[in-house]
Amino acid sequence: MRVPSRLPAIVLAGAVAVSLAACGTQPQTSGSGQSGTTQTTGAFPVTITTSNGPVHIKARPGAIISLSPTATEMLYAIGAGSQVKAVDSDSNYPPQAPRTKLSGLQPNIEAIVADKPDLVVVSYDASTLASKLSAFSIPVLNLSAPSSISGVYSEFTQLGRATGHLAQAQREVARLRQQISAIVASVKRPSHPITYYYELDPTYYSLTSTTFVGRLLGMLGMKSIADAAKGAAAAGGYPQLSSEYILSANPQYILLADTICCHQNATTLAKRPGWANLTAVKDKHVVLLNDNIASRWGPRIVDLLRTVVAALKGTGGLKGTGSS
Amino acid sequence: MATVLLFLAVAAGIMIGPSDISLRAVGEALLAPLPWHPHLSVPAVDVAIIWQIRRPRVVLAGMVGAMLAGSGAAYQGVFRNPLADPYLLGVAAGAGLGATVIIINGAAPGLLPVAAFAGGAGTVALTYLLGGSADRGGDATRPAGGSASIMLAGIAMTALLTAVQTYLQQQHFPQLQQVYTWILGGFSLASWSDVTLILPYLAVATVVLLAHRRLLDVLRVGETEANVLGVDVARVRLTVVAAATLGTAAAVSVSGLIGFVGIIVPHTVRLAAGASYRTVLPVSLIGGAAFMILADIAARTVQAPAEVPIGVITAAAGAPFFLYVLRSRRARRELA
Amino acid sequence: MIVLERVAVHYGERPALASVSHQVAPGEWLAVVGPNGAGKSTLLRAMAGLLPHQGQITVDGQPTKGMARRRLARLVAYVPQTPTFPPDMTSLDYVLLGRTPHIGYLRMETQQDRELCGGLLDQLGLRTLAGRPLATLSGGELQRLVLARALAQESAILLLDEPTSSLDLGRRVEALEMVDALRRERSLTVVSAVHDLTLAGQFADRLMLLDQGRIAAAGPPGKVLREEVLVPCFGPGVQVLTEPDGSRIVLSRRLAAPSPRG
Repeated sequence: MRVPSRLPAIVLAGAVAVSLAACGTQPQTSGSGQSGTTQTTGAFPVTITTSNGPVHIKARPGAIISLSPTATEMLYAIGAGSQVKAVDSDSNYPPQAPRTKLSGLQPNIEAIVADKPDLVVVSYDASTLASKLSAFSIPVLNLSAPSSISGVYSEFTQLGRATGHLAQAQREVARLRQQISAIVASVKRPSHPITYYYELDPTYYSLTSTTFVGRLLGMLGMKSIADAAKGAAAAGGYPQLSSEYILSANPQYILLADTICCHQNATTLAKRPGWANLTAVKDKHVVLLNDNIASRWGPRIVDLLRTVVAALKGTGGLKGTGSS
Repeated sequence: MATVLLFLAVAAGIMIGPSDISLRAVGEALLAPLPWHPHLSVPAVDVAIIWQIRRPRVVLAGMVGAMLAGSGAAYQGVFRNPLADPYLLGVAAGAGLGATVIIINGAAPGLLPVAAFAGGAGTVALTYLLGGSADRGGDATRPAGGSASIMLAGIAMTALLTAVQTYLQQQHFPQLQQVYTWILGGFSLASWSDVTLILPYLAVATVVLLAHRRLLDVLRVGETEANVLGVDVARVRLTVVAAATLGTAAAVSVSGLIGFVGIIVPHTVRLAAGASYRTVLPVSLIGGAAFMILADIAARTVQAPAEVPIGVITAAAGAPFFLYVLRSRRARRELA
Repeated sequence: MIVLERVAVHYGERPALASVSHQVAPGEWLAVVGPNGAGKSTLLRAMAGLLPHQGQITVDGQPTKGMARRRLARLVAYVPQTPTFPPDMTSLDYVLLGRTPHIGYLRMETQQDRELCGGLLDQLGLRTLAGRPLATLSGGELQRLVLARALAQESAILLLDEPTSSLDLGRRVEALEMVDALRRERSLTVVSAVHDLTLAGQFADRLMLLDQGRIAAAGPPGKVLREEVLVPCFGPGVQVLTEPDGSRIVLSRRLAAPSPRG
């Protein structure tokens, strides 16, 4: 299998971004009308409509397997942690999640079936897992990477409905909504977009403003230098940039999402050929992000936003409004 | 003609790139580091782009292209097999494994070329030992080891190491994309330190290969006849393979695994200028450099400012061109 | 002078040559004859240093075992049964390959080498073909060319493995006449494996008859080309006719015609 990987979460997401966009205007969850009266236990059986088709769940699941690090974070955030039986090898947050050797990208069907789950959550339907597990009557909820924040909210509610924690999911969505708007309101929108180079790995894979993270940063009035790449947005928004383009574009900020995988920091940047000339390097406008947080679209997107705002405020890129 | 092509390719490589720098600015930037240059208006960033990004990139691409094409020609000569390429005896698989081990262990990036080089060169040495012809010496009454057994050993080693490499990369999923990017190869990260790192190996390899160009012609009549003409085939093969491996391993350690160049460049040269290694070797070196520089220009401009993997360019542009040369040559022969 | 002392060659377990001892005097033409699989080519290949052997092969007093290839190639030139002709190599370049043992390991041929090879092309009537690619040459021309390459080695001994097998009847005599003329002019020692017993008897000074890897008979043609010597090796279909001048013609002939039909 030859799928580039640190993109995975993200690049694979690009593939579904289009389909998400297509149904973005419609309610993403079915039965939103019927479930006017929500209680923590939820109503079962329930049919969840996702962008990847309807999923029927007979009873409240008590043995969930999550093969998606983002879904793992979401499950714990909405109080469904006690129902989680196993998570994949990349689900390293929260720490109490029962991590196993299961792989989300090359799922071992036999091992999954042997665990007798009553719900499997994935972010990428590798090896047509859903159709294979349907033979064992195990529902598979595929929550792929969204292209917008509303897509994140939909996934929370879908997960809430599927696990019987709809109310908590809705509270979590409200919390995220509130915190994000508070962060956005806390800064003055710059008169000109703040340009940035977002680094996914040291070979200059980057992202455009139309990606999920790009949209998040766009809310602060930031614009990716990768937007100039022809057709990159249509192709998912994760182009590999030329070094000389990064130099000539001379972005105001550099955001590094390869600090853990590849040990990148301001010092390593300055050592790259010609990079010492970059204004962002000279002015120390280099924001270090946690790779894991930056590649997931779960509850910690707020942390990502906070890190960026704090760094930009600290270096004068963004000015506070004093509102929070 | 190949030299003219190389000259043009170098010039184009320095002038063309995703950032829009005028010809005048390029000229000024080239003068900028000289101590007596007149007052220049070109911005420091443009000088840095020309000197620290484009020039090492052009030079490195040229060196790697020359080495891969020259090694390909030499391998085809010593193994008398038109399908032989520099990766035949496992350089690529070994280098790939070396690079993968470094990447998944998160070791210092400076170690990557070292590990790739060691993996590539070590694999070929092992292939040679297992192929069973490393120590025939100069004894006229003992037969030289067959090249077929060495090639088969190379295929086996490649399969084995690729399996190990694939296993490791699947076990370390978060680093898979880095491994994958390295394997695809390219010059987007080229620097002068890469150039100085591989220069000694490439220089030695090139000199040794060129010195063997007449002996490679003798080998064209086959191992048996070359032996009775006084050539110690086993020793020549060992020396040429060692030199080509040294150069190729050094080249791929900084460029990644760029395919196809080692096959199409020498064969294009053969079709255009005859099969004598006196011509094929030097012209392949020059032509390989020009081809790789042009491919790299395409890699960084076709989707500018995004990069296209250079292996995609070498195959997508090289294969149709090669087929065209093959066809037109055949047509000419039929007329003759 | 070539001295073979109990030379034996094994292909795996199977002996191809068993304890062959013989001497070839300088300037002599020795034809190695015998049925298929008798070991003719094996003996020549062993003498050319292409096969590991037991016993000892001595050329001009020097044992060939352990000898460097370059040195052996200056003593012995070998022409295989089916030489390889790279189709786009030119005739002159092909003959120049014969200079290899005289050119330093990593050096190129000199003007002298070119002149010498040009002279050989002249002598063999190939001058006009010097610049032609081998693909355009006829079988007879190629045969002369490979001979020219062997002569370019300037060795005193010429080993020819079935030199005429690819030629038609008329060309065979022509080619052997050329070898004969050259060996007289250059006082070469020639050892050739020959299939055609009649021609072997007419050109060679001595014959060596091999059968199952052993010498069945050796000596001048008149001694070897006799029915009582040949029949045990080749079977009863061999008949020897003696010409008035004493030369012998070896025929293969049907033993008895089947009874006429009807």
